[in-house]
Amino acid sequence: MSGQYSPLTTHVLDTAQGKPASNLEINLYYQTKDKQWQQLASGKTNADGRCPGLLTQEQFKPGIYKISFETGEYHKSQGVQGFYPFVPIFFEIIDPNQHYHVPLLLSPFGYSTYRGS
Amino acid sequence: MSCSRLNTIVGHLQGSQQTPQPKLAVNEMSGQYSPLTTHVLDTAQGKPASNLEINLYYQTKDKQWQQLASGKTNADGRCPGLLTQEQFKPGIYKISFETGEYHKSQGVQGFYPFVPIFFEIIDPNQHYHVPLLLSPFGYSTYRGS
Repeated sequence: MSGQYSPLTTHVLDTAQGKPASNLEINLYYQTKDKQWQQLASGKTNADGRCPGLLTQEQFKPGIYKISFETGEYHKSQGVQGFYPFVPIFFEIIDPNQHYHVPLLLSPFGYSTYRGS
Repeated sequence: MSCSRLNTIVGHLQGSQQTPQPKLAVNEMSGQYSPLTTHVLDTAQGKPASNLEINLYYQTKDKQWQQLASGKTNADGRCPGLLTQEQFKPGIYKISFETGEYHKSQGVQGFYPFVPIFFEIIDPNQHYHVPLLLSPFGYSTYRGS
């Protein structure tokens, strides 16, 4: 997670507090042909709620990915009880030449995600 | 409504060291009161997502996922009778929506092959509504009442 260009990016916003969710652990996995989850990246969001340098273009293959956010830990660190112990988002990449942004808008009792560019 | 299948849990539990589970009431999603409800809305089309498969699981003490209910949403995007009050224990649940299949049935390519939502129940005396607002390239959920 060196900060170099990644074709896949994420951003975690804490919508209850109106600020980025920092120091939230994220893990990225790729589903292999035999349906196993291969870990590709792991890290924590920075002060801006981002995790730069998740993947290189070369690593970015078509297929099913899982990006998992440790929301339970995060809310605990904020001193609140959240409804979601963790949030995994599964998505399918068909064209790795595009840029994909998979953000998480998070509050203790609700979240949303969308495919951004 | 087609939702009536329930895996017989006891036979599928893994690990012989587990103590025998009490026999669960067969949940046929009969429309009786459930302390846990869901609702799937297709926000791209502006209508409920019907005939979408949902599976509900409970995380046991040894971190296995015990299936509690299975079915498909009705014409209103709901799955009545998911659980009885008696079945509803504190703990971590997973409700998994087969969104890939659903979008395929609608003739669109969706971004999400499936959507599992993990949530923690602390007070089973409350009612919990865990809806899914779904479109091919975005979704949201919240804890309703």
